[in-house]
Amino acid sequence: MDDLTPEVSRLLAAKETRRRRLATLPFPEKVRIVLQLQAMAAPLWQARGHRVHVWPVETRRPRP
Amino acid sequence: MEQTLNVLNALEREGILGCYAIAGAMGATFYTEPVLTFDLDVIVVLPQTTGGLLTLTPLYEALRTRGYMEEGECVDIEGVPVQFLPAYNALLEEALKEARDSLYQQTPTRVLRPEHLVAVAVQTGRDKDRSRVRLLRDQAAMDLSYLQKVLGRHGLLERWTQWTT
Repeated sequence: MDDLTPEVSRLLAAKETRRRRLATLPFPEKVRIVLQLQAMAAPLWQARGHRVHVWPVETRRPRP
Repeated sequence: MEQTLNVLNALEREGILGCYAIAGAMGATFYTEPVLTFDLDVIVVLPQTTGGLLTLTPLYEALRTRGYMEEGECVDIEGVPVQFLPAYNALLEEALKEARDSLYQQTPTRVLRPEHLVAVAVQTGRDKDRSRVRLLRDQAAMDLSYLQKVLGRHGLLERWTQWTT
């Protein structure tokens, strides 16, 4: 980390802050994000021959 | 996932499985940032068969009669591939016994404690388990004294030390 520019250090710190904030979200909200990650990643996994699919979207809105 | 948990709860009520708790990546996600996964890992205690064997067959049969089919090592329950892992050793039995009651939306469920998720990952020992341990150490609120006791009880302190120093 010592030879990083202040700009890169700031970006990495912001990224870490965001990850920690995500960790504090309510579980249903995290599951909703996992479904979004699945939607992004599934085509790549499928192209590599993995049998994966995106879980059905919950009909009930996550409670805040 | 809520409908999936409802099915698991029904199986528990009917005695088809003893009890269950969420583990794996979704268990970790309970305590950390969201982690990509395509299946739901569930640790289960199974009722013993008359021959004393612990087998997933009666569970799979019960799910089949409800229309939930096997998909590789998983069973697709309401669109979510669920991987059942019987509590086959002392660590998993303890993890299940001490799992936390929780609510997903309005559905009760149980999730392994973060300390047990770490211990199970240390015991399993794959690269992705190592990443999970790192993530849980960074982000999950853990009782470190409790974790040390769990690791000690199950002979995992040496690998824990290798992984964390």
